[in-house]
Amino acid sequence: MKVQIEKSFPLAASADAAWALLQDLEAVTQCMPGARITEHVDASHFKGTVGVRVGPASMAFRGEVEVREIDAATRSLHLIGRGTDNTGTSGAAMDLRAHIEPDGPAACKLVGLSEVSVSGKAATFGGRLMSGVADQVLQQFAANFAKRLPPAPQEPVVATPVVATPVVADAAATEPPLTPPIAVAAAATPATITTAMPVAEAPVRDINGLALLWGMVRDWFHHLFEAKRA
Amino acid sequence: MGDMSDLQKREEQLQGMGTSLLRKEDARFIRGQGSYVDDIKLPGMLFGALVRSPYAHARIKGIDKSRALDSPGVVAVLTADDLKPLNLHWMPTLGGDVQAVLADKKVCFQLQEVAMVLATDRYAAADGAALVEVDYEELPAIVDPKKAMDADAPLIREDIAEKKDVGHGPRQHPNHIFTWEAGDKAAADAAFEGAAVTVREEILNPRVHPCPLETCGCVASFNKPTGNLTVYMTSQAPHLVRTVLAMLSGIAESKIRVVGGDIGGGFGNKVPVYPGYVVAIVASIVTGVPVKWIESRIDNISTTGFARDYHGVGELAADADGRIKGLRFTALADHGAFNSHVSASKFPAGLFSICTGSYAIPNAYCRVDAVFTNKAPGGVAYRCSLRVTEAVYLIERMIDVLAQKLNIDKAEIRRRNFVAKEEFPYQTSLGWTIDSGDYAPALEKVLKAVDYDGLRREQVEKRAKGELMGIGIATFTEIVGAGPTKACDILGIGLFDSCEIRVHPTGGVIARLGTMSQGQGHATTYAQIIATELGLPASDIVVEEGDTDKAPYGAGTWGSRSTPVSGAATAKAARKIKDKAKQIAAHLLEVGEGDLEWEVDRFTVKGNPGQAKTMKELCMAAHQGDLPEGMEQGLNAVAYYDPPNMTFPFGAYVCVVDVDKYTGEVKIRRFYALDDCGTRINPMIIEGQIHGGLTEAFAVALGQQVPFDENGNHLGNSLMDYFLPTAVETPHWETDHTVTPSPHHPLGAKGVAESPHVGGIPCISNAVVDAFAHLGVTHMDMPHSAFRVWQQCHALGIDRH
Repeated sequence: MKVQIEKSFPLAASADAAWALLQDLEAVTQCMPGARITEHVDASHFKGTVGVRVGPASMAFRGEVEVREIDAATRSLHLIGRGTDNTGTSGAAMDLRAHIEPDGPAACKLVGLSEVSVSGKAATFGGRLMSGVADQVLQQFAANFAKRLPPAPQEPVVATPVVATPVVADAAATEPPLTPPIAVAAAATPATITTAMPVAEAPVRDINGLALLWGMVRDWFHHLFEAKRA
Repeated sequence: MGDMSDLQKREEQLQGMGTSLLRKEDARFIRGQGSYVDDIKLPGMLFGALVRSPYAHARIKGIDKSRALDSPGVVAVLTADDLKPLNLHWMPTLGGDVQAVLADKKVCFQLQEVAMVLATDRYAAADGAALVEVDYEELPAIVDPKKAMDADAPLIREDIAEKKDVGHGPRQHPNHIFTWEAGDKAAADAAFEGAAVTVREEILNPRVHPCPLETCGCVASFNKPTGNLTVYMTSQAPHLVRTVLAMLSGIAESKIRVVGGDIGGGFGNKVPVYPGYVVAIVASIVTGVPVKWIESRIDNISTTGFARDYHGVGELAADADGRIKGLRFTALADHGAFNSHVSASKFPAGLFSICTGSYAIPNAYCRVDAVFTNKAPGGVAYRCSLRVTEAVYLIERMIDVLAQKLNIDKAEIRRRNFVAKEEFPYQTSLGWTIDSGDYAPALEKVLKAVDYDGLRREQVEKRAKGELMGIGIATFTEIVGAGPTKACDILGIGLFDSCEIRVHPTGGVIARLGTMSQGQGHATTYAQIIATELGLPASDIVVEEGDTDKAPYGAGTWGSRSTPVSGAATAKAARKIKDKAKQIAAHLLEVGEGDLEWEVDRFTVKGNPGQAKTMKELCMAAHQGDLPEGMEQGLNAVAYYDPPNMTFPFGAYVCVVDVDKYTGEVKIRRFYALDDCGTRINPMIIEGQIHGGLTEAFAVALGQQVPFDENGNHLGNSLMDYFLPTAVETPHWETDHTVTPSPHHPLGAKGVAESPHVGGIPCISNAVVDAFAHLGVTHMDMPHSAFRVWQQCHALGIDRH
């Protein structure tokens, strides 16, 4: 089960600030909902975990991340990650190429192209949702990434397309007992931040599956009405 | 004595052949008192859970047991390395290949068995299994069999990469298993060259799974002091399994006991020997305590014997009147990662060469190429003799394609090609001798019953209104009852079968057979055969199967072989007993045997019916002193039956469907099934078998499929996705019959369980395609699910208002 996702997120920060953050794998990982670095093997190899939870079902993948390439000239990064879930019933692999495109002095774009493939139970049962899930995860990633950037002169903006953050807010609004609003938006933002501005501390959590589902449903409706209008 | 009403009364008391006797086994089944393998609980029993691979193709770089071993209740973790010292990490398969019992250095299909965790209960075992850490290096997987023999195709089977042959002739590629041919290619090609019309169609029999309600499992119990191994298991062929276990383990076969117990459906899925059984047995030998292993539903659908996955190409050549002159059928067979498909040694493609069907086709050629892919191994016969469904599906679809091409009615084209009654026994151009048949009257009876002409008129009106209605016909010939030992063996063992009958002094009878009921009603059917043969009431006849310590050797129950083979053995054994009883009767009545005649339940003296000895009297007499000179006491016999030929049941089916062109939903409005299985033993059981077979045909035609993604991940291995029809979806079945006895079977019986599956699938498919025939559609692949049928409607642009 493979999906390719290409996304571009406008950021209200200078390309250099965004690039600085992008190179800090620790910080980048922490922007990934549910992701955690557990061990630095060497400069370019890390071990970590990613958790996903959909309702009662939860999966924790542990695996390795390899930084294939960091190119300051093009402000681009190439990561490879692969792992198996801790019950040994699923596998996942991701190939991510991201770069920062300047867009004036105080704005830039985070452009990501990734291929995600999963095996085992995750593919059998999660396959149908996969592109939707990946889409949501990236939007959350972008939202978190934006949060960690030093605010640009004008009023702070979080990642657009606006779907990203509202999704989360709405999800939280509909499911308050399950997860507080920031659970996803500010997932993985420990207080110890080196490269970026400190933000409200929040416990590291799994990707909230219900928020994901809600986001997917929203996008699906959007898509539906767009189709109608077209 | 002797008058009709009295004879009739005595006849009825026997409840023998021809009576719809209620099934003896149902008394316990309907009370929930059947005894299945998971009901077996032995003292000190451990539970085994298998660790399975999430990848379809990967190298195993390491296995870390430590966390599992620390888990509460876990006793041991077995991997291939633990089985090596016993040389049990690989096992022979029924397909002439070998299969990894536990993955040895690499996994070749998703959910392949990698390790077994033994624990004090099944929950602890499952928890332990989740803690075994396996380090995999994923490899590219082959999912599409059409790519298996590409020059750059990944090598799946490193263990046999160098082998030029894996039991069935030369291999052209490391992922090639065998190429099998039948018929005269040159003659077939010539027929095509000179033909007025030819048709060709690519026809897929998708990978499906028999999915019996009870999954596979076993309880293995090795007794160290005695060295005896007892295995309670879900097997359709307990005796063959005992032999395989003896070959595998080196334990004397006399010290191995395999017990079948009650089995919750098999449909072919419970013929092979699976790794889980073997590991459980090894585990019991190693630990010295009983070990239970029971599959989950997902494990069952994902890893045990699947069926079909035949990618076929059908070609017919005919004259302008639609009389078939030539047939060329080929199939690319996806056998998965190990060739563990079940077939007689000399028939690697099963009985595929029955693909000339009910028709007189002078020139025919067929070929099957089997390849390895990174999918579960198997290739069992799902409610059919191996590859018969594939063969019959091809010919019954292709004759419709030919009819459409020539614009000949689909009933008429069959009439024009039927083998005529006087031609039987009929020698097919692919080498079979069809024992008996009478096809035309069967078809006419069905067409009349459903008012075929009226249906066609209705179809014309509906088409004029833009509605989709389809009429499907199948006039199939099955081949069952494997088989003559001169042609059929498995692991060198001939496919004869057996029956041992013991008659007790008071007339009670116990019969033991080498077959194994999985719900077919053997306890009833066999008892009725004996009742008629011996004149003793079926109610007092007990039938036992499945315990290899008790029953005589037999090849088990699959391929509808029980009645054709064991039914015959039962009649033979009963007749031996009857002959002895006759000698005793003659002795007691002081007449010659020639002066006696049989009358329902007794021997009477010709011309003096008052002088008689009932069978009950003779049972007692056989256990007393006053016997003919030199005769031993007792009234027992055992018979082994080696069938001279297969039997060839046939049928004529009609299916009427309505298709919703907006949703693609297919509704079966009417299904009329006429079956001819020769002599009918228990009409009620036959009808039940036909209902079951038609329902499984309905399941395959409209919904069942085991799909994979491009990495070899299963995309439908739970009942959330896999279609198992219930009373809610299943249509109403109308059944009918004709009787054309088999000339070579002692009772004239042919076997029936599979016909409705084999004939039902093409009949439903033909109906669905027929609904689109006027729009130029000649074939649609199964399953005809709403989505797939809607795609056809959409492609034709008829799904819009």
